Amino acid sequence: MKLTARFAHRFFSRPTALVGFALFAVIALVALLAPVIFARGPFSIVGMPLLPPGAPGLLAGSDVLGRDMAVGLAYGARISLLVGIASTLFAVGIGVLLGAVAGYYGGLVDDLLMRITEFFQIIPSFVLLMVLVAFLQPSLGSTVIGIALVTWPQVARVVRGEFLSLRSREFVQAARTLGEGDIRIIFTQILPNALPPIVVVSSMMVGSAILTESALSFLGLGDPNLLSWGSMIGGARSAMWVAWWTSVLPGLSIMVTVLALNFIGDGLNDALRPRGPR
Amino acid sequence: MLDRRGLLSAAGGMLAFPAQAYAPGRVINAMMTDEPATLCYPLFNTRLVQEICGNINESLLLFDWQFKPQPNLARAFEMSSDGLTYTFHLRPDVQWHDGVKFTARDVVFSCGTMLPQVNPRSRNAFSHVASVTAKDAYTVVFRMKEPFNAFLLSLMASSAPMMPAHIYEGTDFRTNPFNFKPIGTGPFRFAQWKRGRFIHLTRNEHYWRPGQPGMDGIYYRVCPTPEQRMVAMETGAVDIAMADDIDTVVNSRMVANPNIVSRADAYNGTGEITVMELNMRRWPFSDRRFRAAFLHAVDREFLVKGINFGLGKVAHSPIPSTAPYHDDKVLTKYHYDPAKARALLDEMGLKPKLGGVRHRFGIMLTPDGGGAWTRGAQYIKQALSEVGLAAELEATDWPTQSRRSGNWEFDCDCNSYGEYGDPAIGTSRFFLTSNIRKGVPLTNLQGYSNPEVDKLFGQAAVAIDPAQAQAHYSRLQQILTHDVAMLWLYERNPMLFHNKRLKHVVTGPNGPADGFGAATLA
Amino acid sequence: MNRLQFIAMRLVKTVLVTIAVVLLSFFLIRLAPGDAATVMAGQSGYADEAFMKSLRAEYGLDQPLPVQLAKYLGAVAHGDLGTSYVRRQPVLDVILERLPNTLLLDAFALLVAITGGVWLGKIAARKPGSVGDATVTVLAMLFYAVPQFWLGMMAVLVFAVWLAWLPPFGIETMGADFTGMARLVDIAQHMILPGMTLALYFLASYARLTRTAMLEVADADFVKTARAKGISERQVARRHILRNALIPLVTFAGLQASILVGGSVLVENVFSWPGIGTLAYDAVTARDNPLLLGIFIVTAILVSLFNLVTDIAYSIADPRVELGQ
Repeated sequence: MKLTARFAHRFFSRPTALVGFALFAVIALVALLAPVIFARGPFSIVGMPLLPPGAPGLLAGSDVLGRDMAVGLAYGARISLLVGIASTLFAVGIGVLLGAVAGYYGGLVDDLLMRITEFFQIIPSFVLLMVLVAFLQPSLGSTVIGIALVTWPQVARVVRGEFLSLRSREFVQAARTLGEGDIRIIFTQILPNALPPIVVVSSMMVGSAILTESALSFLGLGDPNLLSWGSMIGGARSAMWVAWWTSVLPGLSIMVTVLALNFIGDGLNDALRPRGPR
Repeated sequence: MLDRRGLLSAAGGMLAFPAQAYAPGRVINAMMTDEPATLCYPLFNTRLVQEICGNINESLLLFDWQFKPQPNLARAFEMSSDGLTYTFHLRPDVQWHDGVKFTARDVVFSCGTMLPQVNPRSRNAFSHVASVTAKDAYTVVFRMKEPFNAFLLSLMASSAPMMPAHIYEGTDFRTNPFNFKPIGTGPFRFAQWKRGRFIHLTRNEHYWRPGQPGMDGIYYRVCPTPEQRMVAMETGAVDIAMADDIDTVVNSRMVANPNIVSRADAYNGTGEITVMELNMRRWPFSDRRFRAAFLHAVDREFLVKGINFGLGKVAHSPIPSTAPYHDDKVLTKYHYDPAKARALLDEMGLKPKLGGVRHRFGIMLTPDGGGAWTRGAQYIKQALSEVGLAAELEATDWPTQSRRSGNWEFDCDCNSYGEYGDPAIGTSRFFLTSNIRKGVPLTNLQGYSNPEVDKLFGQAAVAIDPAQAQAHYSRLQQILTHDVAMLWLYERNPMLFHNKRLKHVVTGPNGPADGFGAATLA
Repeated sequence: MNRLQFIAMRLVKTVLVTIAVVLLSFFLIRLAPGDAATVMAGQSGYADEAFMKSLRAEYGLDQPLPVQLAKYLGAVAHGDLGTSYVRRQPVLDVILERLPNTLLLDAFALLVAITGGVWLGKIAARKPGSVGDATVTVLAMLFYAVPQFWLGMMAVLVFAVWLAWLPPFGIETMGADFTGMARLVDIAQHMILPGMTLALYFLASYARLTRTAMLEVADADFVKTARAKGISERQVARRHILRNALIPLVTFAGLQASILVGGSVLVENVFSWPGIGTLAYDAVTARDNPLLLGIFIVTAILVSLFNLVTDIAYSIADPRVELGQ
């Protein structure tokens, strides 16, 4: 396991990666433990609306309905992380599968995939996403599926590129002459070698998925049964003028979370793909 | 140099931007949340169109705060003692904006042909009319099939705007080009529609009411977001904010502003009640105990104070407390009492199962982009969970909402309706068995059916004697509230705000829908 | 391949992509339940059986799907994008009325992003690993991480509410009806906050890109040759490094055009900017299908054309590049 140790050393020697990892750990902990830390759910009304942070028992103040902002922020972390991770896994699943097939076999499949990714580059994907989510009825599931459907081509492009360059390497040729099947070669020979760039791309995608989810919720296209950071800001659009904390705090939460994830992504990039000056 | 403290205090009160100066003249600015599809009043009878076209198209009668008829385009009218004939005498000095004289022909065309065909709000009222005829150029006679005591009220502007026969007769109403440049008899005439920016009305120089209008023109400006509308009102960029222009969240801030006049009575004529509808074809919504438990579980006082920022009051009856025929004595009231709600649910066999949940169902939201409706539903969901009812909020958009409610594909929906001064116009439609019509929004979507209620609504509508009508409506309120025939939440009073340099803005219970002919600028 | 052939080929490709966009969006949108009749019923608060039937006939929705598609494609080929359900105006008119506003905002944002990004990237690349470099890197990371819509709200709070320097909403002062120069000044003032908000995300991209490109170019042979010739370091930086580093930025701008449109939805919404973004949002929430399709088609064509222009610019900036790759 020397490899792991060297990777960890390289990753944590970057101060931003360290900070990112620490921040992410704290946020993930708060998200996981939210029901333990707080006795009440995020929709419980605990006092008068729009009480400022520091009011008795209200660390982060109350929102337009008199709900505890601190509870909302903690539960919002759950939604953000859940959507970010689930939609990325989903997108990576589709992207790896299609990208691998296209890169390995080339030909018509490859052409088709490239046309599809071009289509996604031309069409404004956020508008497409709004349409998907609105038509599927806004919910946690439709948000995850929608984000995955508009982001998988990014992964597919990367995977295709890696497969294209790896498929003619000696070890693949060797496996082929030994009579290994295509599926076996794809998953046991090429994929492990293509993993580093996939990991880097997906770590960046989690952050952008969180941003996208918050934007959808802000526009009122989120799941109304859940309190997310984006919907907190959307619900505070008018209140912002009289109670700054209602929009400032959830916005900062999004920013810090995404920043942490991007720091981690940068660190992974350096640790997994050591290359010239950056 | 700008004084920083001065700026900070400005931020707390009136906002001031270094905008370039301009002279407003005797022209006022109002707002549109979005542009209307057309300006053909009966074809597209939304609140926004009422507020714009109320200045362009007029009605035969106006109504005062007690809902008593007042002359308008009709200078006088008589009703026969059997309630079967109404004769209207029209003003002879009225002309359309294009100079053509307004005569009995226009009234016969409007009330006999156009309105019953295209205006949803006229259909019910005019279904009681046997014939509309012109006795002479300025006299119109309505003959009724049976007496219908809400008939006069159904002649208010929003239900029966007069439309020009010489423009519309014999044409396809939906594609008539004048739908985008309307012609009326009102104090203001249509001037320009600059897409994406404004609709401009100018003074009608030949208006029949002496001394009116008191202003040179009105601009309705597109103003899509609530924050933008609030700032526009505070900076004085616009002079008037109607109905839902201003988010209720900042209501107190507007009321406290010394330069702004707030009116809570401008929409009394609508008598709007915010409700939830239950699909009574499905169990357990068919059980009155479930409906009663629902109301007992929800603190409607909080709904008014917390969610709606004190605007309005709790509704206990299908007839609003500000309207005729409301009878407080006969009502069964359902106060906030979670214990009682639990007891009722226990009684009907809905015992808590795994996780304390007694029953799961869906609440279909009204698409307001996370506004007051959604906030209200989120509170109700929370309140219901306290008594073991797990509600799932279902997000929708308008087409989905109207399709699902019209096709009865819902458990519970959010709605609000106007009573318009008479239960026969605004209320009976939600409870009559004969108005259970699949695919048609704003009908008896719940599937509520009670032969006695059907009979009483029928009798009340044709009762010429007001005391008789009152007796029927009292009995109806007694039955309907005991049955919990609908989940009445609160009577909603939208606010109207206007700059204090404006006077005589609200002259009756129909507020801006009666037009700004009397309004003046200080 | 000469330049004309290349342009012709790319135009054909643009047409093909547009057809693909039309087909895909057509089926995507038709899959959703609800049609014009339910849209209008929902809007007017009233409908009956006869009314719905007449509407379906009016919009041709009572015909089989292939017939509808054929008719739609035929109409699109003639530049007719249909009629908006909600606005009851030709879709093309509705879009063309809003398009200049969005183009103005996006062009301004792009300009700010490129000039600002290149400037920051230059600072960072001057001394890799220095405080300046670290600051630029962290700043770029921050701009990446901040939600655009929230940044817009904060900009309103600070610059319009607290400092009262700039107008917060809309494209011009409401009710002023300025003309001529005064109107231009007014629009420019209104453009600053939404334009800067939209620009920051892209500015971050350009800063990082410029930095990387400049560091790579700095090691290239021709730069070393220039240095060896005794050309001053400033001259090298400006003439050789920056000019060559800018080349990838051009293609990048082309690739980001559709992301810019997506960002416009949020920023226009926050600032009540009357552009394509707010129009798209309205069309989605009201299920105005012809308008939605029209927006997809028009933006797809514009983005393709913009890509074409950047590709040509790229070939001019870097003669070593073969066209048609």
